[in-house]
Amino acid sequence: MNLRYYILFANYEQGLALRDILLQDGIPNRIAPAPRAIQGDLSCGMSLLVEPEYIEQARRSIEEHHAAYHRIASLEGQIRPNRDRYC
Amino acid sequence: MIYLDNAATTMHKPQTVIDAVVHAMTSMGNASRGAHTGALEASRTIYETRRKIAKLFGCKRPDHVVFTCNSTEALNIAIQGAIPAKSHVITTDLEHNSVLRPLYRLKEESGVCLDFARADRQGRLDLQELEGLIRPDTKAIVCTHMSNLTGEIVDIARIGRMTKDRGILLCVDASQSAGNTPIDMEQMGIDILCFTGHKGLMGPQGTGGMCIREGVEIHPLKEGGSGVQSYRHRQPVEYPTRLEAGTLNGHGLAGLSAALDYILETGVETIGRKERMLAEHFYEGVSQIEGVKVYGCFEDKNRGPVVALNVREYDSSEVSDVLSVDYDIATRPGAHCAPRMHEALGTVDQGAVRFSFSWFNTVEETDQAIEAVRKIALA
Repeated sequence: MNLRYYILFANYEQGLALRDILLQDGIPNRIAPAPRAIQGDLSCGMSLLVEPEYIEQARRSIEEHHAAYHRIASLEGQIRPNRDRYC
Repeated sequence: MIYLDNAATTMHKPQTVIDAVVHAMTSMGNASRGAHTGALEASRTIYETRRKIAKLFGCKRPDHVVFTCNSTEALNIAIQGAIPAKSHVITTDLEHNSVLRPLYRLKEESGVCLDFARADRQGRLDLQELEGLIRPDTKAIVCTHMSNLTGEIVDIARIGRMTKDRGILLCVDASQSAGNTPIDMEQMGIDILCFTGHKGLMGPQGTGGMCIREGVEIHPLKEGGSGVQSYRHRQPVEYPTRLEAGTLNGHGLAGLSAALDYILETGVETIGRKERMLAEHFYEGVSQIEGVKVYGCFEDKNRGPVVALNVREYDSSEVSDVLSVDYDIATRPGAHCAPRMHEALGTVDQGAVRFSFSWFNTVEETDQAIEAVRKIALA
């Protein structure tokens, strides 16, 4: 199982702002293109990819900082399951 | 980085463009505001840039070249300022949201009736079908010159022959073709040509504009400072001032001016030939790989330097992510602001990975991109 967690946003401004917050809180993440499968109509082309073990910390950080985001979605990776780097 | 996202913006610019911007930022005042050396340098630079744009696009009147921030702004000015309420307008499935959204707005707010010329599964238009959509109350055809997704080139001259004698306005989005494909407004029958400065023209972001045929009236979208006719309550009626409220991006336009020198000296045909050679080389390489599906029609060699593809059933965003993270190759996945074209190609759910080539790309870079796609397809 290669489940990935993507935080989706309405625009790039929200995404970049949350990336700063998560890094400040020591939560590893990286910017990745938002997968089409979970993007829907409302989110933008960028997402923050967060390791499963850190996703709850990320949720708490979002709540604590009242950070804007669209939603969090999980999706199984399709290409080479072990390739991910998060920082 | 191997930069293959040139349909979004060209990253590599001629050094003369960079030098011109730096020079302008240390010497330029505000154009059309006063007569001191700095103001005059700005006015002169912008004046010369208009003349070069007019020369490049076959626009008879340099004073009908209007500068904007980008082609989206130019298209908004054209669409909202030249199309009457409750009229009939034709556009195509190939369009970018910079055309679609202003038209949808007119449809919702001004009662404009909109018809679409459909693209087939290969992203090609049937111009006979487009001509069949023309009605007695058709006031405008708004059409791209080149698809930003497949590189399909639209025969604008043929559409120009349809509109000329019928009194229909022809507004063309040249965002993808300007700089790599010859454009002659007069010969092609174009009434309004909208362009951006930062893609094929190799200028700075924040530059763009429109060329307006003599006799075409466009109502201004913005009103404000013009540096002239200051006691009038409304925007001056003369072009280009009519459509240029506020300070222009003089620093950017100085860069665009240098970029135009580079293009005019090198030749649009020469630039286009090289870019198309790279795209064709890439297409020939990737189309042989099992599991790779390329979109668009490649039988016609007269096409833009763009190749969109998917690898197996992989989400296009994940493929683009692997290209970026593992191979340092910049591409664009997803929808490319071209929703109707993705519907036509059947790629709404998967998106597509777009590789777009520029004058500064090399065969070696193209070969590395082919190899990266091959490895992803094998993964």
